Amino acid sequence: MLNMLSLGLLSIVVGFIGSLTGIGGASILVPILALLGVPLKEAIACGMVAIIATSSGSASSYVRERIANVRIAMFLEMFTITGAIVGATITLYIAPVFLYFFFAAFLMTSFLGLKRSIAEYVPPSTQDRVSRWLQLDGSYFDEATKETVDYRVNNSLFGGLGMLGAGLAAGMLGIGAGAFKVTVMENILRMPPKVSSTTSNFIIGMTALAGVSVYLSSGLLNLTLMAPMAVGTTIGAVAGGRILNKLSNRTLRILFYVIVVYLIVQMIYKGITAL
Amino acid sequence: MKANRTTDNNGGLEKAISYLLIIGVVLSVLLEIAGIIMLCRDSGSIAIQQDSSVFIQEHDFFRFIYDFLRTGNGNAGIWLMTAGLIILILTPFLRVILSAFYFAFKKDRKYIFITFFVLVALTLSLLLH
Repeated sequence: MLNMLSLGLLSIVVGFIGSLTGIGGASILVPILALLGVPLKEAIACGMVAIIATSSGSASSYVRERIANVRIAMFLEMFTITGAIVGATITLYIAPVFLYFFFAAFLMTSFLGLKRSIAEYVPPSTQDRVSRWLQLDGSYFDEATKETVDYRVNNSLFGGLGMLGAGLAAGMLGIGAGAFKVTVMENILRMPPKVSSTTSNFIIGMTALAGVSVYLSSGLLNLTLMAPMAVGTTIGAVAGGRILNKLSNRTLRILFYVIVVYLIVQMIYKGITAL
Repeated sequence: MKANRTTDNNGGLEKAISYLLIIGVVLSVLLEIAGIIMLCRDSGSIAIQQDSSVFIQEHDFFRFIYDFLRTGNGNAGIWLMTAGLIILILTPFLRVILSAFYFAFKKDRKYIFITFFVLVALTLSLLLH
């Protein structure tokens, strides 16, 4: 039976997976909590704590090691927060049911980049003017290959629009949309897998933060759920943050795609049941 | 493998953000653990509770902090858990403020604008309910 101790232990696993894949973790934790008898709306509301804790816990390592790119994150946060605010506002007027299918379809496009993301990273040969003007590039030392990987972003405005969509989905569906963000970063912005996952982790906390007041006013925030979730996901995320750079891109991508398949099934199921 | 890099990597900002995040998560986790222990000791149970005293409801995040600091809370365990939650939520907000100061110090106009935009949007979202 679920209690504060078992929830804390479960949250450690969720925080660990979330930190390695760039997803917030709430999309894994919320269905499990619902299955274990926690009211769904309460689980969703409290899930934002898991997202913020995963983000801050893992980003403390990713930012220090310069795997997550602060400039790229700041640029993309403009779009994702705007999307989240618009999404949270229009969800009152528009049924989000079709967004589930759109979200599932978009996640399927992440498989288009499967071959590239598992292979060695090759930076785009050209860089658009806006990306160059915003200095959206960087480098990090990959501990798995023992090489310094230099990268640069391309298609920043299309990427920004993708992030607007991710924020919209987050605001309308009450999710962190981390998998959505990772897909945009890899397939549109052409960022290396590790930089995509870690920069997504850095951003998801901000997207979740944009929904805090909505959840506060809902009266669904249960401290005995949130406290063990916060402790567990933070511990898991800090642990994940310390090992990500030692793992190969291949291992991380396999883990990511397993989660993406799970999310696609979850989104289609939610869409069908909401019709 | 290699691309032509156009910028250095903001080492100072990254260190500062990293320290801020570490301080935030450690403080928050310690408060949450202390709160859980005290609540379990008082109630004699580690069960997830559905009592109204463990639920939070407020108009918005800033009002939440104001009321917490003004009125406090009778139960020490709940007070500690709430304090931990506030610090957890404040940590990413503070990192945006820290970034804004950093870019202002560096006189990086592009990123002063971007960070300021994020800060205003975030503040507005925290005022929404």
